[in-house]
Parts: sequence; C-alpha cells; structure tokens
Amino acid sequence: MSIDFEFRKQVMDFHVHDVIKYCYQCSRCTDNCPVAAVSMDFYTTTGYNPRSNILNALLGYKDAIFDADPLTIWGCTVCDTCDELCPQNIELTEIFTFLKNESTKLGKAPDSIYGQAQAIFDSAKAIPSQPAIERRREQLGLPAVEAPNLEDVQSLLKAIGADKKLK
Amino acid sequence: MTEYKMFEGCTIGNRIPFIEAASRKVFEKVNIETSDAPFSCCPDPTGMKSFDNDAWLTLGAMNLCLAEAEGKDIISLCNGCTNTLRGVRYQLKHDNLKKEKVNAELSKIGKEYKGTIDVRHFVDVLKENIDKVKAAVTKPLTGLKVACHPGCHYMRPAEWMESDDPMRPTTLKKLVEASGASVVDYDELALCCGNAVAGAYPEHGDAILNKKLDSIKKAGANCIVVNCPACFQRMDSEQLTQKTLKQLYSIPILYVTELLALAMGYSADEIGLKFHRTRRGTVIENL
Repeated sequence: MSIDFEFRKQVMDFHVHDVIKYCYQCSRCTDNCPVAAVSMDFYTTTGYNPRSNILNALLGYKDAIFDADPLTIWGCTVCDTCDELCPQNIELTEIFTFLKNESTKLGKAPDSIYGQAQAIFDSAKAIPSQPAIERRREQLGLPAVEAPNLEDVQSLLKAIGADKKLK
Repeated sequence: MTEYKMFEGCTIGNRIPFIEAASRKVFEKVNIETSDAPFSCCPDPTGMKSFDNDAWLTLGAMNLCLAEAEGKDIISLCNGCTNTLRGVRYQLKHDNLKKEKVNAELSKIGKEYKGTIDVRHFVDVLKENIDKVKAAVTKPLTGLKVACHPGCHYMRPAEWMESDDPMRPTTLKKLVEASGASVVDYDELALCCGNAVAGAYPEHGDAILNKKLDSIKKAGANCIVVNCPACFQRMDSEQLTQKTLKQLYSIPILYVTELLALAMGYSADEIGLKFHRTRRGTVIENL
C-alpha cells in the first residue's frame, strides 16, 4: 500500500475547516452509523466502515479506498449522523462526498448516480415531468410546474466539466 | 405579509403532487403566501452532490439567484431541497474560494450569487405560526397514534439547517399534536429511512427500514407522519411492494400537511389520499 501525497492534499483542501487531521479514531462514527450496524460482520472485516475511510483518506492510502469493493465508498446513506456525533467536529460526509466524486470520475459509482445526473442534464430535473402527472396536478387544482431554464443548466454543467463524467 | 418563493422540488412536483395540494391548502389556512419560480432540480444532496460537488454548488446557487432576484425567501416542501439550498448557502457564506469559483461559472449565464435570502423548511414556518395552525383545526384527529419521522436532512448537519435538535427533534411532534392526534415516542426516532444507500445496496437499505418500522410497531403507533418526500415514498412504496414488510407492518404514512389538512376539515378526496400505496385496511381509510 503506497501513500499518494497529491490525494492526501486534495482531501485536506476539500475539508473546509481542515480538522480531519485531529481524528483520533475513536470510532464514534462507525458505532453510530446505520449502515455499519447492518452490514458489518462481528470481526469488522467486511461491510461499510466510515472510521476506516477517514483513516485511509487522511493517510493518503488512495488504493485502499478506490481499489476496494465499491461498498467502501458507496455504503454511505448520507444521513449525516457521524457529522453530529464526531467529538472532533469533523464533517465526515464532506470527505465522503469527495471520495464519491472521485469514484464517479473513475466510472465506479452505482448506476443510480449516473442516471440521476443524466436526468438533470437532459431535463433540469432529477425526476422529469410526465403527462400523467401533469393531468393529476390539474385534477388536484395545482398550477403547472414552471419550466426551468434547461439551456442555463446545461451550460453550467458543461462549463464545470460535469457532463464528461456522464456515462 | 411575507411572500415566499415556493420550492416544491422534483419528487413532490413531478411524482407525488397530492402532497403539494395538501400543503398549499394548509398554507392558505395559515396565511402563508407563496409564488412560483422556474427552479431546476435543487440538486439532490445525496445524488448530484455525490456525482459532482461543484455541480451541486453551482446549480444550487443558480436556484438561490432566482429567488434573490425578487428579494424573497424560499419555502421548501422537501428535506432534500432544503438541505441542498441551505448547505450551498452555508458553504458559500463561509468559504470565499468556493463563492468566487461558483460566481465565475454563474457569470457565464449572466447571474451572480450574493447571499441575501434565506431558505426555510415549511415545518419551521408552520411552527412559527403554531397558534394559527391550532386555530384552523376544526376536526381534531383524536384516536390517531402517530410515530413522527422528521428524516435526516431536516435537521442534519445542524450548522447548515439551524432547525431542530439534530438527534432529538421535536418540531414535527408539536405540529402533530396541534392536529389533535397523539404522538407515540419510539427508540429509533432519529434513524434514517435508508433511502440513499438502497439505490446501490437494497439489502442494507431494507435492513435499516425494517429496524425503523419494527421500533414504530413496538411503540404501538397506527400511523407514521413525515415531512420529507423521499422518506414518504420509501416507506409508502416498500410496504406495498415487499411482501415481508407488508405482512409485518402495513402502517400508513401521512405527510404532515396531509394530516393538518384533514384536521382543518378537508376531505380525503380533496387532498388525493387515494394515491397513497399503503392504505388498505389501515386507519387512514376511515379518515
């Protein structure tokens, strides 16, 4: 396992308050993680483990994160519980966002992630409008949903380069 | 009177609009004025943020710009949308590098994010108007035993949301009590519904949902009240489509604005209660 210093720097830079370096591996994140609770085995050799993600990210062990089972990254359900309970006030979910963004670039994200981004690129909505729902809105006495500016959304996504990550 | 820009979001607007219908009716009774705007997807704090954080920040800021142009605060009907819009607002306020980067992108479509407006979750606005809510209740829902599920993104992370206790939330309970229903406490109040992990790992998402529903059933609730469309859809649909969950639980789900609309005298037909999936043989059939 080798240390990737560039990756380590990216992790530090992504974390707004840079307190990730104060992690002392107390495991409060993993102990209170709802996914860890249902996915880990007794000896914690498999399953989703936020504590070890923080350790590997902090030490720059890039391969240990991205070459492992995708559950290592994508097991996070974004409930933000670890953020609240961390005694060092580390915004763990922000670090996990960075890991997910990198995994997406490598083409290793779950299909649902690419699918939603594609829908937003194509229609400016994660869930596009459908004729049946439009009729239902009318029946319920609701106004039509105002159409977003798709051209603006697409120009922004292209300017950022997010369109290149689509499959 | 403050007028808010209505942010109904993709899920409510384009999939379960009956929740928007109930919400608009309740707002009318409580004198909360709203107007619409051509918002895009917020975008999703669990999906698009995981796909590309810069895209999340920029599209979020673009939506904030639309409300900013009219000098009006946003009222959101959805936990996810509130989380994104408040999260973007928080990060751009506390990180100048991010703000400069986002504004450099926005300038390409002729916009600039300044940070002059606020984003409110509708539950917080209703709580501020709790006396008006109580005054509008004409048909108290006594007999309903409600387990509250506020969902993760209404109150976490606390720095972004500034709404409620992040692990022991109380706002939703107060609104449910205002309807005349009684609140049943249960152990797993702050537990996630498992929605975001269920996309890639349904077995883990389902195990979490099972734990939640089990705790609710043990506490003796006959109804679950939520304030998030993702949690709503997950709990409402999975109990219909998954045989084990259906046999074990079949506990109906109500959006808090549906509960309040019913207590304010609207009929089940007027708010489209028939579009719920988990309802047969449950208490909501009699409402």
